[in-house]
Amino acid sequence: MYELQSVDKMFPGVHALKSVDFKIGRGEIVGLVGENGAGKSTLMKVIYGAYQPDGGTITIDGTAVRFQNPRQAMDHGIGMVFQEQSLITNLTVMENIFLGFEAQFVSMGVINWSKMAEAAGKQLAKVKLDIDPGMVTSKLSFAQRQLVELAKVLTLEERIDGDLVILLDEPTSVLAKDEVELLFKLVRDLTSRASFIFVSHRMDEVLELSDRVYVLKDGAVVDVVSKTEANVDAIQHKMVGRDVDKEYYREQRQTDFRDGVLVSFDDVSLGTSYRNISFELHAGEVLCLVGTEGSGREAILRTVFGLDRPDSGTVTIKGQPVTRFHARAGVERGIGYVPRERKIEGIVGGMNVYENMTLSQMQNYSSNGVLRIGDEKTLARSWIERLGIKTPNEYKDCGGLSGGNQQKVVLAKWRSGGSDVILLDHPTRGLDIGAKEDVYDMVREMSADGVGIILVADTLEEAIGLSHTILVLKDGEMQRLFNGFREGKPTLYDLVHHMI
Amino acid sequence: MSFITSHLKQLKQSRRTFLIGAAAGLTAGTVPGFLPTPARAAGDGPTMAWSYRNRSNPYWNAIASGGEAFVESLGMSRDDLVHLINEGSSEKSLADVVALLAKTSGNLALAIDANDGPNGRPVVESVAETGGFVCTIWNKTDDLHPWDFGDNYVAHASWSSVDPAAQAARVVFDAMGGKGRVVGLGGIASNPPAIERRQGMMDALEDYPDIELLDYQPANWDTQKAAEVMASFLTRFGEIDGVICASDTMAFGALEALRAEGLVGRTKVGGYDGTKQAVDLVLKGEMSTTVDTNPYWAGGALLSLAWHAATGAFKPSDEPRAHREFFGPSILITEADAAEFKATYIDATPTYDWTDFWGPTTPAN
Amino acid sequence: MADVQTERQTASGGMAFGLTRETVVKWAPLLVLCVLIAFFAIMEPRFFSVRNFARIGISSAPALMVAVGVTFIIIMGSIDLSMEGTVSVSAVLFAFAFLALGGTVASWAWIALPMALIVGALIGFLNGLVHVKLRIPSFMASLAMGFVGTGFALLLTGGDRIRIEDELFRSLLTVRWFNFPIMCYVALAFVLIAWFIQSRTTLGRNFYAVGGGEELAHASGLDVNRVRIMGFILAGVFYAVGALLAVGRIGIAETATGNNFMFVSITAVVVGGTALWGGIGGVWNTLVGVLIVNVINNGMVVIGLPGYVQQGVLGILVIVAVVLSTDRKSVSFVK
Repeated sequence: MYELQSVDKMFPGVHALKSVDFKIGRGEIVGLVGENGAGKSTLMKVIYGAYQPDGGTITIDGTAVRFQNPRQAMDHGIGMVFQEQSLITNLTVMENIFLGFEAQFVSMGVINWSKMAEAAGKQLAKVKLDIDPGMVTSKLSFAQRQLVELAKVLTLEERIDGDLVILLDEPTSVLAKDEVELLFKLVRDLTSRASFIFVSHRMDEVLELSDRVYVLKDGAVVDVVSKTEANVDAIQHKMVGRDVDKEYYREQRQTDFRDGVLVSFDDVSLGTSYRNISFELHAGEVLCLVGTEGSGREAILRTVFGLDRPDSGTVTIKGQPVTRFHARAGVERGIGYVPRERKIEGIVGGMNVYENMTLSQMQNYSSNGVLRIGDEKTLARSWIERLGIKTPNEYKDCGGLSGGNQQKVVLAKWRSGGSDVILLDHPTRGLDIGAKEDVYDMVREMSADGVGIILVADTLEEAIGLSHTILVLKDGEMQRLFNGFREGKPTLYDLVHHMI
Repeated sequence: MSFITSHLKQLKQSRRTFLIGAAAGLTAGTVPGFLPTPARAAGDGPTMAWSYRNRSNPYWNAIASGGEAFVESLGMSRDDLVHLINEGSSEKSLADVVALLAKTSGNLALAIDANDGPNGRPVVESVAETGGFVCTIWNKTDDLHPWDFGDNYVAHASWSSVDPAAQAARVVFDAMGGKGRVVGLGGIASNPPAIERRQGMMDALEDYPDIELLDYQPANWDTQKAAEVMASFLTRFGEIDGVICASDTMAFGALEALRAEGLVGRTKVGGYDGTKQAVDLVLKGEMSTTVDTNPYWAGGALLSLAWHAATGAFKPSDEPRAHREFFGPSILITEADAAEFKATYIDATPTYDWTDFWGPTTPAN
Repeated sequence: MADVQTERQTASGGMAFGLTRETVVKWAPLLVLCVLIAFFAIMEPRFFSVRNFARIGISSAPALMVAVGVTFIIIMGSIDLSMEGTVSVSAVLFAFAFLALGGTVASWAWIALPMALIVGALIGFLNGLVHVKLRIPSFMASLAMGFVGTGFALLLTGGDRIRIEDELFRSLLTVRWFNFPIMCYVALAFVLIAWFIQSRTTLGRNFYAVGGGEELAHASGLDVNRVRIMGFILAGVFYAVGALLAVGRIGIAETATGNNFMFVSITAVVVGGTALWGGIGGVWNTLVGVLIVNVINNGMVVIGLPGYVQQGVLGILVIVAVVLSTDRKSVSFVK
């Protein structure tokens, strides 16, 4: 019996876990669901020892434990099967399985490979994987690698006396349907030796596999439902179920969009990313792309920005069919991109506020290659004031600003450069409530100014609240286009129904 | 002919062999069995090859040029000389030799610097096995001798730096008036020539009780490094009366550090290697001395020995040991004879009688 | 969720920690330089004299030019190891042209001076082209180009040295204004030019953008490839200036003119606090770095320490400098 009692975890500015109680018994399969940012990853990291809780206790069979690192957690029988596969692909299967634990096969300073192969074979048998342990991992399929990961974790069985708790983080995301079935069967078979914590976005899978389901929201456990009483709708309601505050999304400030078409997709397809996509983005319109990770949302953004050339169909931007696909062309067409990875693609840390703002429009602030720094500063000061960017001055290093203010700098960069199509990729991710509201204000303002916005929102409520139009995607296909502002906004359940 | 005189003076008996150069012109006519060298068409003699580090170093460049001069003296094109460049790798040195032996089936006259001592033996053995003829310079171990291989290991030449370096130091000390303060700039500390040249200077110092050696620092044979170290010496010691450099390259650097302070001519500079620029500077009075080891001659003579042995013009095993393992000649260049040296060796490329194997430093014309 | 947490951690961790740490990182090199100067001055008062500073200036000037050149490249997050070959080729071609055109700055031979800079630019252009167009890592492309350069210089000279004895040209070394030879002022002038390029031109801004985030620079519509090639050209020009000063200092152009510049310049850049991953640092850092290296070289001899100790001290300093200026981005804040 593994148990967390009122565990808290704080990060600077965020209360990531709020007095979480969690327990899992022998042979049990427990599901863990929640929206992005609800605290699932943090909870898992606490469980397998990557984070240390700031408050509360962890007990195993009634004994309090405290893990300094994942290795100590492993020594107590807690193993993790990672979502992003953690196998080293240029090593063999057996080397991966016993990575860090080779010592048991060493005699006289030399690894006894045949002994290791034999032991690895035993582990692979547990997951019913019939491959040569000496095979190089890169030759395996993703499904096979997932099983090798599991086999690797199951080596705990030999090393640990007590019960095992194994975390499965999104194990099905790379698997085909029949592979999922196999994995589930295997997990059920293994409950005689271990209990499992199963984390997935796919609600139906969680319900199918788990005995009980913990629902997390805003860092707290909002409900624990047993399999018999659970249904997808109820869980989803609990996951997202805050009362949607219309004021929060500034909905009374939402105005109708205009007639001019800025971007249009006509039956556009790109490989496995998306197929047969058609839509129009009008001036002042906020178009939200909704779907799960990998549903094609980001790929469409990339195509609009001009990074990826589609295989077929016509992309038209401001009346011009697009033929050239590279980033510069996108910028020249007046398209601004506010990326999800702010640190990597949004701002240049080490460069100051005005330098970041003029990065995409240096030609406007230089003569013969010599910068007019005075003009840059003037521009920066005006946008600092206009967007309320909290920075002591315009020559402060952007890397030192808070996430919300960095986001404003990125927006100012595109807005000041005259971009009239803005792509927002999770613009509020990692921001606190106040900063989020600032971003919503800016969205409204841009919309009122006639800027077309394509948004991939952090939550469904955000999508519904901010958008005029919602395009629901699933596995790269258009499911439904809600013309929400004009015809009535869809509910969360409308969207989820089409997403999953 | 003071430089020739001093050259002759310094040719000494080595501990294991006799310095052949001492015989100079005297022995030339007396060595038996030297046939006049007929002009030969390319291709009907043994393949000729020189194996050395690379040509960017002026010393090896002169060696290679001497080798080419010998090849041309046979009426062949300079391109008929095969250059085996080892770039400082003993492995490459040996591999190239073995490959060339295979290609020529042993019909090879090779002159080689084996890059390091231990590599000398495998090179010599592989040449001897396939019936080729080889001369070595500089690098070999002390237990490897030409006379242990019959005719195939024709000869070995090296140069002692100790005595010439001592003489060069004496020239500088004399220029200082036999008293004052000197500093030294050495080569890479572990190089044998660097050690020998420093030793030479120390030997000379013993004869000059009024000269004080302030410091001796390695400048790694490098001009710019030498300039920097010399500048630092000037800060530390103030004006210095003399600087002894283990190579001309470092002497140039020291000289420019002095030039920056307006001390050229006041501080006496001694170099080593007899490079063209150093000779010019001696002529101008900016340097006091340098020592020439005549690599151009060595390049031709060693190849000539191997080639003549290969063609049967003489039989190495009939020669005395002193003819098979010897110190090459060194020439001290001072202000007094620099002009003459320049006229003979630099302005007019000296024409050597390459069959005058052991009496080389007298130009034939 | 995972990235939310880490991001916050980094951001606020950076702020709480940042002020002190960033200040330390920013001023550490200058502090090191001052400490070194004080140390040597105490050990040997003669170290602290205008004459000796002039000597340090002379030994620093050529290396400073080369180091400033490579600074641009390192700011871009690339690396250029072609400096030795470029310096040799520029020096040798300059010497040939200079002698062929009259052998004194007072004649048409002055044309050899700008010509040398063009040679440097061309080599840099080739470097950049190979790197960008053939998609070879800058490290490999430039290293190979450096070897080509050294080989080419050797081919030109056949291993010989070329002496430049023109007194007007040598006045770089021999004529002093306010106790410092002209070459020190020339070097300073080019540092100012470099500083202008770095801080006042779109090109300089682009270097920082590419080094700070290539994806972002790309997403902001910069022509990253063009920026890279321009960077290599600019570096080549500065290498050529370094070559001219090196020839001015020694009076000799040869294949070996380029020797040691790779080690000295990269060391100086790193010791000066320019981060090897790009985006951070600049020419003033490099100036301080070059001075640190040369103060050590000079000071060690002045206080009478043997040469091999210098090498060891330099090596330790590089490590200390990297430790000081690393890990702002790094792992320790991001779990």
